Amino acid sequence: MQAILALFPANDYTLLAFIVLLPLLGAAVNGVFGKRLGKEAVSLLALSAIATSFVIAVVTFFTLHHVQEGEEAARFYWKGWEWFHLTTQNGGQVALNVGFTVDALNGTMALIVTGVGFLIHLYSVSYMAEDPGFHRFLTYLNLFIFSMLVLILGDSLPVLFVGWEGVGLCSYLLIGFWFEDDKNAAAGKKAFVTNRIGDFGLLVAMGLLLYYTGGLDWTTIEGGAKNLLTPVQVWPLGTHVPAASLFGGNIEHWINMPRYVSAATLVGLALFLGCAGKSAQLPLYVWLPDAMAGPTPVSALIHAATMVTAGVYLLCRLSFVMVLSPAAMCVVAFTGALTALFAASIAFAQNDIKKVLAYSTVSQLGYMFLGVGVGAFTAGFFHVITHAFFKACMFLGAGSVIHAMHARIHDTDASQDMRNMGGLRKYMPITFWTFAASWAAIVGLPGTSGFFSKDEILFKAFTSTIKSPIATDKMTDGVNSMDVFAWPSWAGTALYAIGIITALMTAFYMTRLFIGIFFGEFKGWKIDKNFKEPEHAHGHDDHDHAHGHHHDPNVPLEGPPPHESPWQMWLPLAILGALAAFSGFFNANAGPIHITPLDTWLEPLFTKAGAAVGSIKDAESFEYPLLGLAFLAFAGGSGIAYFIYVVQKGKPAQSFAEAMPGLHALVFDKWRIDEIYEEYVIGAVDSLAEFFAWADKWIVDMLLARVTTFFVSTAGTALRFIQTGRVQTYAAVMVLGLGGVGWFFVTPRVDAKLQSDDDAGVYSLTAAEGLGYSYRWDVNNDNVWDGDQKFGTQTQQQLKLSVRENRTVRLEVKNAFGRTAVKSFNLNRPAPDRSGATSRLDAPPAARGQIRQLPPEIRQLVKPEEKQ
Amino acid sequence: MSSLGYFTEQYIMLSGALFTLGCVGFLVRRNMLVQLMSIELMLNAVNLTLVAYNRQHTHDLNGQVFAFFVIAVAAAEVAVGLAIVLAFYRLKSSVQSDEADQLRH
Repeated sequence: MQAILALFPANDYTLLAFIVLLPLLGAAVNGVFGKRLGKEAVSLLALSAIATSFVIAVVTFFTLHHVQEGEEAARFYWKGWEWFHLTTQNGGQVALNVGFTVDALNGTMALIVTGVGFLIHLYSVSYMAEDPGFHRFLTYLNLFIFSMLVLILGDSLPVLFVGWEGVGLCSYLLIGFWFEDDKNAAAGKKAFVTNRIGDFGLLVAMGLLLYYTGGLDWTTIEGGAKNLLTPVQVWPLGTHVPAASLFGGNIEHWINMPRYVSAATLVGLALFLGCAGKSAQLPLYVWLPDAMAGPTPVSALIHAATMVTAGVYLLCRLSFVMVLSPAAMCVVAFTGALTALFAASIAFAQNDIKKVLAYSTVSQLGYMFLGVGVGAFTAGFFHVITHAFFKACMFLGAGSVIHAMHARIHDTDASQDMRNMGGLRKYMPITFWTFAASWAAIVGLPGTSGFFSKDEILFKAFTSTIKSPIATDKMTDGVNSMDVFAWPSWAGTALYAIGIITALMTAFYMTRLFIGIFFGEFKGWKIDKNFKEPEHAHGHDDHDHAHGHHHDPNVPLEGPPPHESPWQMWLPLAILGALAAFSGFFNANAGPIHITPLDTWLEPLFTKAGAAVGSIKDAESFEYPLLGLAFLAFAGGSGIAYFIYVVQKGKPAQSFAEAMPGLHALVFDKWRIDEIYEEYVIGAVDSLAEFFAWADKWIVDMLLARVTTFFVSTAGTALRFIQTGRVQTYAAVMVLGLGGVGWFFVTPRVDAKLQSDDDAGVYSLTAAEGLGYSYRWDVNNDNVWDGDQKFGTQTQQQLKLSVRENRTVRLEVKNAFGRTAVKSFNLNRPAPDRSGATSRLDAPPAARGQIRQLPPEIRQLVKPEEKQ
Repeated sequence: MSSLGYFTEQYIMLSGALFTLGCVGFLVRRNMLVQLMSIELMLNAVNLTLVAYNRQHTHDLNGQVFAFFVIAVAAAEVAVGLAIVLAFYRLKSSVQSDEADQLRH
């Protein structure tokens, strides 16, 4: 530890760069040379990149653990370079660095990402061995690990956002990995587009945080978080609502009434929108079930263990911001709880094992947000860890099952349908036992990881409330003030009730899945022990259906027994299964057991947020009753499932479906949420698109383009007649033009500029000069040219007029060709201005002169004349 | 009255007559060679003007120097112009400027 710290000091911890960049290196090499390297080299490279990254992450973790003592959070930082800097509204500079930081929270998360990531890489090497896109797959996986590490280790929101978009991209690429099938490509697109909605929220949150806290890296945000406690007027958007006056009276007043929200709530909600997109919460969860179109290891890695928990990570990371807004926390908690319940209800009726797992993932993510929303950040994050283990294990187990089924049923959908399974326990013992371990964890068998993490969340949901960050019930910034939101007293009970019902449901549908796969009779083809395998190799999740022999599933055919997967596949299963069973003791806090290393480890990070979390009276006394309820939920849910699907062989479920076909169909169709979105959201976008298409066709193309071209071409047609193409015509026009220019020079032009001073009665005329011009004047208006009728060089005349005198002055100009031109000028001295006359006349003459003084520029022009 | 016994006006009038001849010739004739000759006539009318006026400015020779420039440029112009006429003749077997109407279409 000391050696590492000596080499890599805490503020320049270069090892972080290695953790992040090794997977990128793997991705780059495999991406460019993968096809030529061959499968062995590609797998070796991809695996060693992640393995090395994992080893460094472990070293970092223990170094961090060594450094962190007591209440002080240890933190290692590595700054790459300055990315860009922003100028804030008060002229300050905010530098944004490409920097990485590691502390207890993301150090742990990095272990999960690289550790579970490595296991899934290992699994993929075998699972995808037959796929023609093998190197492409491992490239994407490596790229994903890189992006995920950027996301969790990034020191500021923009760096996190790069990773955030990076994992979104990898998710898109991997969901649509078998893009030849339109369905898969569409699923990838759906995931991407849905995530964009969330990303919008994250971008807004970034802008708000920059505005209010003055920075985007964690330290600055933490330092400036207090500034978020300010009311922001969110309504009306301008000064008033335009149409409100139609109603008049009280309604108008009510509509126009200013409404305030605290900046913390705005930030919290915007952040949560981003997290809801990435972590598949209501109402943006729809992409995750579809994302199962990707290969199964992808579902395990991205859509269960790591990427989808990024939202939980972000809320934990910014816990000190979130707790400033009880309202936002309330939204987070209730959205999480409702998502958990809603997704669990859909999982009831699904037959595709990956779909069941997908909805269970959405449901478990809901639990995590429930935990985070009630301020139990450690509990929420602990569930991230345990869920990563047991859900990755389940997905990989499901992959193993699909692998075995696919060898018999060469159809992707049929090999994932649990109605074709059953009794696989005998043929796939390792898969069975590992799946059993993770089943026990997710349904909450006491002692397993899921039991501890879920129990902690439920206990905190029941007992915790978020206290207002300010003591008074009014939040004010001196100008505006608003009421502070307080958690309703029933919130804890309601959240707990939803949570415990979900736990019951989870136990039920997971047991149904477990029984459906591994128990009872095998319902695929008849098994023939002496069956000889045809010439083809096994393809898994096969997408191109190139096998050429499809079977009618209704006709029983004979085939070989399903087989256990190779070691590359069951070893990760075994490790993850063991972790699923026993990782609960990282933070076991239920009843008499209090082993909480994780809590101690993360505590310094959540001290600030923890201060905002209140607790109901006598919280401790509820511990055992709630524990009992949790056990009842587990026992009840799995017991009912056992009764229905084993004892009664599924008859009650069938009769239920027959008794209420409408409800069953509705649940089976996932409450038809996708259809609602299709109809309303996508429909609205489509109509908008149609409108724009219409506008493009008739306004842009027709009115702007066609009409303009029509004018231009008409003008062109008309002007074409002038262009005869004969040199003589052009020359003639040139001669004409030349004649015009000559005429212009031959004609004299006469003009004069008048400068007048009405008060003094002095007028001055200056004739416009020209080459070879001579002038003669008739100043006294006697029709005789001054100076004996001769032309001279005098260009200026000055004359004095008495009050109200009119005078016509004539000027004649002669040019070098002897041609002349005459112009007359009427000069008129008006009567003195009489307005306000008394005072002006009373005033001494000097003062009067001052009042009517000429503007300085004119006086300057007049003066030289006087000298002449 | 200059040393040669002619007024400047007379040179100018001669020059004007020459220029008009050239101009009219250029406008009314269709034979490109004749047109080129007409252009030469106009150029030399201008040269004559320059030299004639220069006699009024006894202290410098700008007008005469300028006339030399015009002669040099006119030589270059004739070279280019004849080349164009030749190329055109190869194309159309004609030197009538009416037939040079391809750019119009």
